[in-house]
Amino acid sequence: MRDETVTVLDNHKINAEYYQISFRSKFLARNVHPGQFLHIQITPTQDPFLRRPFSYYRIRGEVVDVLYEVLGPGTEILSGLGKGGQLRVLGPLGRPFSEKIKAKKRILVGGGVGVPPLAFVAERYGCHRFFIGTKSRKQILPSKEIQKFRRQVFYSTDDGSYGTKGFVTKLLEKFFKNEVKNPADYFVQTCGPTGMMERVLEISRRYGIRGEASWEERMACGLGVCLGCMVKTHKGWTPSCTEGPVFRFDEMAHG
Amino acid sequence: MVDLTTRVGPLRFKNPVTVASGTFGVKDELKAFVDYRKLGAVIAKTITLRARAGNPMPRIYETPAGMLNAIGLQNKGLEDFIQNKIPHFKKHRIPLIVNIAGETTEEFITLARALERHRKEITALELNLSCPNVEKGGVRAIREEKLISKTIQAVRKNTQLFIFAKLSPELGDVVETAHEAVRSGANGLSLINTLRGMAVNIYSRKPQIAAGTGGLSGPAIRPIALRYVWEVKRALPKIPVIASGGITTWKDAIEFLIAGADMIAVGTANFVNPRATMDILEGIQNFCRKQKIKSLSELRGTLVIPHRRP
Repeated sequence: MRDETVTVLDNHKINAEYYQISFRSKFLARNVHPGQFLHIQITPTQDPFLRRPFSYYRIRGEVVDVLYEVLGPGTEILSGLGKGGQLRVLGPLGRPFSEKIKAKKRILVGGGVGVPPLAFVAERYGCHRFFIGTKSRKQILPSKEIQKFRRQVFYSTDDGSYGTKGFVTKLLEKFFKNEVKNPADYFVQTCGPTGMMERVLEISRRYGIRGEASWEERMACGLGVCLGCMVKTHKGWTPSCTEGPVFRFDEMAHG
Repeated sequence: MVDLTTRVGPLRFKNPVTVASGTFGVKDELKAFVDYRKLGAVIAKTITLRARAGNPMPRIYETPAGMLNAIGLQNKGLEDFIQNKIPHFKKHRIPLIVNIAGETTEEFITLARALERHRKEITALELNLSCPNVEKGGVRAIREEKLISKTIQAVRKNTQLFIFAKLSPELGDVVETAHEAVRSGANGLSLINTLRGMAVNIYSRKPQIAAGTGGLSGPAIRPIALRYVWEVKRALPKIPVIASGGITTWKDAIEFLIAGADMIAVGTANFVNPRATMDILEGIQNFCRKQKIKSLSELRGTLVIPHRRP
């Protein structure tokens, strides 16, 4: 873990909702794993004050590409940063998705901004299925971003403008129902809105399938100091920044 | 090297830089960034008699130049602190100020007695009389039930440790409260705790903090904290004050020293820059060297107030 000042190489919009910002960092490129996060200080001025956590998107050589959505004043400023702009980046932080899953088939379930970290998982470790849910066609990642594993990808959109209409968990349930014979062969990794992940947890448990969820709460320090981002596990409130954000289904007290 | 030694009553700190309770972990969470032995002292996160689970999520929300928090004093309780935390600070020779909160005066007494038995391993006590995020023993209860004198007197009777009373403007007029705290046996004061605030999600119409309100901290409250430190030091110049409230850079620290602060507690800034305390310490040293200040006494409480215009 380090706190580095990095220089922006590129920052552009990749679809109707998402931007991608890139910078060079030999250290992060080498040490970052899918599911971990970077805690970025967007401006050295004291407003907005806090850093913002971002899940990685991808590593290209020594370059880190971070995908983000403009959601508030911080990401608004971020979207206006051009080449040569500077950021303070603390990371890699948190527990990543498991590479070794002790199962034959890796099933990824991503919703909204939870998709990019899983695209990184798919790129690094491969997957058997990657279920992607978004609100509409507008949020779909450009095809070149999922080139390596596009055959495994299945889409659902809330409005039916792309893929199957409805929630992504519907796709997951259908898949389990039709394909699963031995639950031990499968391992689910999920990232997305809380409601979606709770449903993924519930369905997976029903089929006896193990897995991991990236469970993030609003965060201040990212280092286990402020106790702001707690997740309820069987051990009690646990900081998602240091003990998570990735938790095993059997650790979580949800659902 | 500039001499930053800070004397606080009978206590001697190698420099005035410390941390606000609850912003620095309970042990050595920031060791990758901070050389703990360089700090004047560490003020640990509030401990209560029994372990506390704390409040539901969301506990924090960012606001202009600051944040709201309602952690709810999550901690592992007195026993764990004595078993696992005190020995750590002793071993590494880091001056430790223990912040305590009780739901009742009796709990404050129990905490004080238990810590009195570890007097040699502790530098001072800080009484949290101003937590905005708990019901029993929180800022509202202390104010409404007029518990300031009672609590401080009770702790005073049960310990020889140096006592800092941590106050907030929500306890009433700060200067009056400060007088009351000192009369009751506090040796020093910590100014200020967070100020209660709120934010609303306009779509769900729910508060952004699950507990409804939270304590506002960060640069947003710095001018308020500075004013209180100055007013209290003017009224009670001999009473040591640990200043806190949005101190983020070395320049902020210098401002507070000029206003009269004895110690500088870095709080929310630790969440943004884990090296904040180290940066501030270096900044104070560089400033003093460049300004040819040999000792902090040349700086402390030297606010120049121009003549008022008619």
